[in-house]
Amino acid sequence: MQLQNITLTNYKNYVQTNLSFCPTVNLIVGLNGAGKTNLLDAIYSLCACKSYFNYSDGQNIRHDSNFFRIEGNFLVENKSENIVFTYSVQKKKDFMRNRLSYDKLSDHIGLLPLVMIAPDDIALVKEGGELRRKLLDTTLSQLSSDYLHTLILYNKVLQHRNALLKQFAEQRLYDATLLQSFDTQLLATGRTLHQHRQTFIAALNPLLQQHYEHISNGRETVNGHYESALNQKDFALLLADNLTADRLQQRTTEGIHRDDWVFQSNGFALKKYGSQGQQKSFLIALKLAVYQYIYQQKQQQPILLLDDIFDKLDAQRIYQLLRLTSHNPAFGQVFISDTQATRLEAIFHDLKVVYKKFLVEDGVVTVFE
Amino acid sequence: MNFPSKLVEDAVNEFAKLPGIGKKTALRLALYLLSQPADNTQNFTTAVSRMRSDIRFCDNCHNIADGDLCGICSNALRDHSTVCVVENLRDVIAIENTEQYRGVFHVLGGVISPIDGIGPEQLRIDSLLEKVKQGTVKEIIMAISPTMEGDTTIFYISRKLQEFNQSIKITSIARGVAFGNELEYVDELTLARSIASRLPYESYMTAK
Ligand SMILES: [Zn+2]
Repeated sequence: MQLQNITLTNYKNYVQTNLSFCPTVNLIVGLNGAGKTNLLDAIYSLCACKSYFNYSDGQNIRHDSNFFRIEGNFLVENKSENIVFTYSVQKKKDFMRNRLSYDKLSDHIGLLPLVMIAPDDIALVKEGGELRRKLLDTTLSQLSSDYLHTLILYNKVLQHRNALLKQFAEQRLYDATLLQSFDTQLLATGRTLHQHRQTFIAALNPLLQQHYEHISNGRETVNGHYESALNQKDFALLLADNLTADRLQQRTTEGIHRDDWVFQSNGFALKKYGSQGQQKSFLIALKLAVYQYIYQQKQQQPILLLDDIFDKLDAQRIYQLLRLTSHNPAFGQVFISDTQATRLEAIFHDLKVVYKKFLVEDGVVTVFE
Repeated sequence: MNFPSKLVEDAVNEFAKLPGIGKKTALRLALYLLSQPADNTQNFTTAVSRMRSDIRFCDNCHNIADGDLCGICSNALRDHSTVCVVENLRDVIAIENTEQYRGVFHVLGGVISPIDGIGPEQLRIDSLLEKVKQGTVKEIIMAISPTMEGDTTIFYISRKLQEFNQSIKITSIARGVAFGNELEYVDELTLARSIASRLPYESYMTAK
């Protein structure tokens, strides 16, 4: 899969920009705040229907405008796909594929697979489970519309169930049949999600190990361990056992929504015991493993976005990473942003990588062929 | 929007509260009424306010009615042993317009949705259970939207019915591919449901 060109209108600090990309490596350079990340986020948004950094659509409108528009032409298995994402203050969000608006945004997810790595992603290793569940969900949703629909349903049932538990407590009543009406749907959807996550995490581990060795030259054994209350106990039993606690705390205390994906190195939690370098190498290996898994499953290469991740990496690791991603038939089109061109260009010349360079200055882009 | 008259402004604001009516359309409607004889406006407001004040709801099925019972419930030719459970009045009108259904209705007034503060007590579920307890109802047809909340409502009512009546027949309207739709344009969720709730070929043919 490939992004051939993009047109940004009133998006962040871009007034009107039209760029054509090359099918291999696209190097985007510029100072901090020039708009490199905005460009990558625009690409991400065309594929995922929303910002990678959780910006609301309104926040992405250029100062003093009342709408933005992103248009991209992709090549997917030799078929062209025209995608237009517009957001205006009055008319809200519109997402079009080949000039037809989607009824549901979820129908678009998975059409254009992509993987992004950004500096703040290190929080995946260092912080709470929410971010790791989000990575599981965004990855599996790209791979299976069944997963995405089931997830939407699960979250909705969960919201209702929690509201119901709250109302029971406030009104001092309890209707077992009513709770059961929601439980049946929570169980069915929860079990499906558990199955998907279990399969994915197990299949990812060998890829993770392989990429970790490539990047860090490390000999440690790394893996992601799936932690779910559903591993030991059937979901129905779990809900039955937690009934008292759930009613007391007025929320569903255990279930798929509390799952975690614990990252380990030689059996120790990376979050606690890993060094900065180990954590960073792990993060990159994890994302590249996700890339590889999506590629295997879809038989289609995702777009890879590397946003400004070289700053705290040593020269050796940068070289390994670029050798792995830029000059390797396993990876397709790559977008790389960095504050300086020279160190990456030197490596590209050494590896004989074909690339196109873009210089971003305050929302204005100069192209070097 | 600036108005030369407070009277016009008040009228426009009231029109604009109606669904699907923006300020511009509201102004057009108000100016239209002003351009017509005063009697027209009088007739219009009388009809609307009489509808609102005199409307009754059927004691039996909660459909709109002019008396104690609605036209459907008071019709002896309808099959009173078959009850079609719907969310709202619009659904009654839609099903009646098909001219295919000969049973009676029961209007719930919504579906169970705790996040919107709607529980069984806010809906007309008790009166449905009471009706079934009297023993004349043989079949309940659930004609409720195929949403998560709709499914929950069907599950809840079915369980409540089965608590005291094991023999009642509970059916649900078929969910799936719309008539005249080409399969490749049907979304995957609908298609999956259609396959799960597939019908024997013969009953499919006679159902038309
Ligand atoms: Zn009636």
